[in-house]
Amino acid sequence: MKKKMTTSVLALTMATGMLLAGCGGEEKAATKDTKKAATKSDEPVTLQFWDENAGPARTPVWEEVIKRFEEKNPNIDVEYVGIPNASAKSKYDAAIAAEDTPDIGSVQTTWLPEFSIREALLPLDSYFKKSDISKKINPSATGVNKKITQDGKLYGIPYAQNLDALWIRTDWFEQAGVKEPKTWDEFFTVIEKMRDEANNRYGFTIRGGAGASFTIQRAMFAYSGLDFFDKNGKTNINDPKHVEFVEKYFSYNDKLTPKSDITNGYKEMIAGFDTGVVAMVHHNPGSYGEHNKALPAGSYKLIPLPTTEKGQYVAEGGNAVNLAIFKSTEHADEAWKFVEFVNSEEAQSYWNQQTGQIPTNSDVLDDEWVQDAQHIKTAFEVYNNPDTKLYEPPFYLPDYRAILDDVVDPGVQAVMSGKMSAKDFLDEWAKAIEDSKAKYDQTFKK
Amino acid sequence: MFTVNKKVDKILTLYLPLTMLLSFTIFPIYWTLNTAFKPEGDIVKRPLQYMPVNPTTENFVAAWTNVGFATFFKNSLIVGVFTVIAVLICSTLSGYALSRYQFKGKRSFMLMLLCTQFIPRAMMIIPLFVIFKNLGLISNPLSLIITYTAIEIPFTTILMSGFISNVPKELEEAAMIDGCTKLQSLRHVVFPLLLPGIVATGVFTFIYTWNEFLIALMLTNQQSKFTLPVGLSTMMGEFSINYGALAAGSVIALIPAVILFAYAQKHLVNGMGGAVKG
Repeated sequence: MKKKMTTSVLALTMATGMLLAGCGGEEKAATKDTKKAATKSDEPVTLQFWDENAGPARTPVWEEVIKRFEEKNPNIDVEYVGIPNASAKSKYDAAIAAEDTPDIGSVQTTWLPEFSIREALLPLDSYFKKSDISKKINPSATGVNKKITQDGKLYGIPYAQNLDALWIRTDWFEQAGVKEPKTWDEFFTVIEKMRDEANNRYGFTIRGGAGASFTIQRAMFAYSGLDFFDKNGKTNINDPKHVEFVEKYFSYNDKLTPKSDITNGYKEMIAGFDTGVVAMVHHNPGSYGEHNKALPAGSYKLIPLPTTEKGQYVAEGGNAVNLAIFKSTEHADEAWKFVEFVNSEEAQSYWNQQTGQIPTNSDVLDDEWVQDAQHIKTAFEVYNNPDTKLYEPPFYLPDYRAILDDVVDPGVQAVMSGKMSAKDFLDEWAKAIEDSKAKYDQTFKK
Repeated sequence: MFTVNKKVDKILTLYLPLTMLLSFTIFPIYWTLNTAFKPEGDIVKRPLQYMPVNPTTENFVAAWTNVGFATFFKNSLIVGVFTVIAVLICSTLSGYALSRYQFKGKRSFMLMLLCTQFIPRAMMIIPLFVIFKNLGLISNPLSLIITYTAIEIPFTTILMSGFISNVPKELEEAAMIDGCTKLQSLRHVVFPLLLPGIVATGVFTFIYTWNEFLIALMLTNQQSKFTLPVGLSTMMGEFSINYGALAAGSVIALIPAVILFAYAQKHLVNGMGGAVKG
């Protein structure tokens, strides 16, 4: 008996020790940023740059941009580190926690509030104000970046934006004599009309797997044209209009859309479109490269998401990627030079043309390739339309992303499999947002 | 009649389940190979091609040279080989001690070894990062070798002590009666009989380091120091997946594991027979 006791005590001590070791990582804070020495401008400097969406498509583009930058700034050497997209956030999290961040990083807008509260980023307002690019970069994109951070400062310069839209098979639409959907009612009729059992074709594919939350959120706000919160600060997520939309949208599941949709992630959804199974898919201009590889030119195109009843386009604010400078850098001025260069007309034009994203620098929009690229032009026209409504999700809530991943994604699957009603799903989602907001407001006085 | 029944029985209970199991395992490998040899445009084309119509090795060339698999492969190999060496030395010695000697707290020591296996790897990342940062070992293969060795030792020690217990103590004693010292009897009697155990442990460790992704990603901040799994995952961008190069890369990554298993299997069987006879 005694022996057994000793054994258990020992095991417990060891396990606790290991647990504690896991929590002791934050002690060495705030030693690094004191080292910020001023370097002379001609001294050779090496900057580390992290790309959050590395891959065969983007890595070579960044390498070319870096090459051009280094030619212009021979004393600055930019070291590229490509991080796989799926693990990028955790890689940044670990780096911030361990105080070993790069000089510059490509970060998604949704990460800015959290990273800035964790004091990992350098405010860029003064740099930006003095720079020529401040007159060129889309003010609504920088505006969102400021609005979502706790202190209202600018922590990231958006170098590319994105827009949810529909890719459609124009050749099938022509064959069937069906017009492109302009309103959501038309969109639903198109799903029905484009179902072609003989050829095993479906009108639409629903995203039910990873990332389903983004798609459904953007679709339902595009339908309702509501703001994220009403005047009293209550969320509009479970507004009757959204309930009505979500009910209808998912009622097509398994009847007029492929059976496997419930597990559809990006790859599966795009593969369905590119292999000729579905006529219409809700994504963004970013998948252009994939369609271009798989489908003959002229057989597909990008159209905006349908408008609200009032004929208004709706887009989600903050759908952009930014360059941010990390506080730990010892070469902030040189890092800014890189940020400025990436956002110059030359670099943005090259980068966005190669990757199929929408430039934020207004000078690029006159470039010939933008005029020739149907998908970029369409997306840009939506952003440029004075009536387009931008709704702003509360990216500043620390749980915002977690709610999408842990409540909304599984909720979508529950609705699709008939285990939950659309109303219960939206109520649950709304409650999660409101609880999180109450917690946030309490912490930051409001 | 009896023999026919026996044959049917054998088909139903042996060949049929085995074939089903095999096809289940083989299919993804077949599809990876099929994809790896197809040109980019053919991969997602309908109708599906069950055999590459225009076979090409361009994906392998692209993965090996453009994407940098040559470097990733080398890095993985360095980390794998050194981890295996370190793990084998430590676990053979500690396994021997655990199996042959009686000492106070032996059982609780064994239990502690087991307990270390309960700790989620993801929990150790930030502490590990801080430790290696202070040691100046971030982006250095040594950080991975140390981490993997530490992670693997507890389990492999237990594994080894099991193998060593299977080698009859009497063999060692007989050798010592014939004039061997303790170390000589270890070298000439125990180790040869232990070979299957050593091979199994080595293979097990190597496969772990070869496939490990999370720690390798977190402790490496330099493109040129990435290991294979990290390199492979960069083939899947948010908006583009290079299926061809991804498949080719997977095939390249598979080769050492397959060779290793083919080799180890022979040793495992041979060695086992030897031990039983002894």
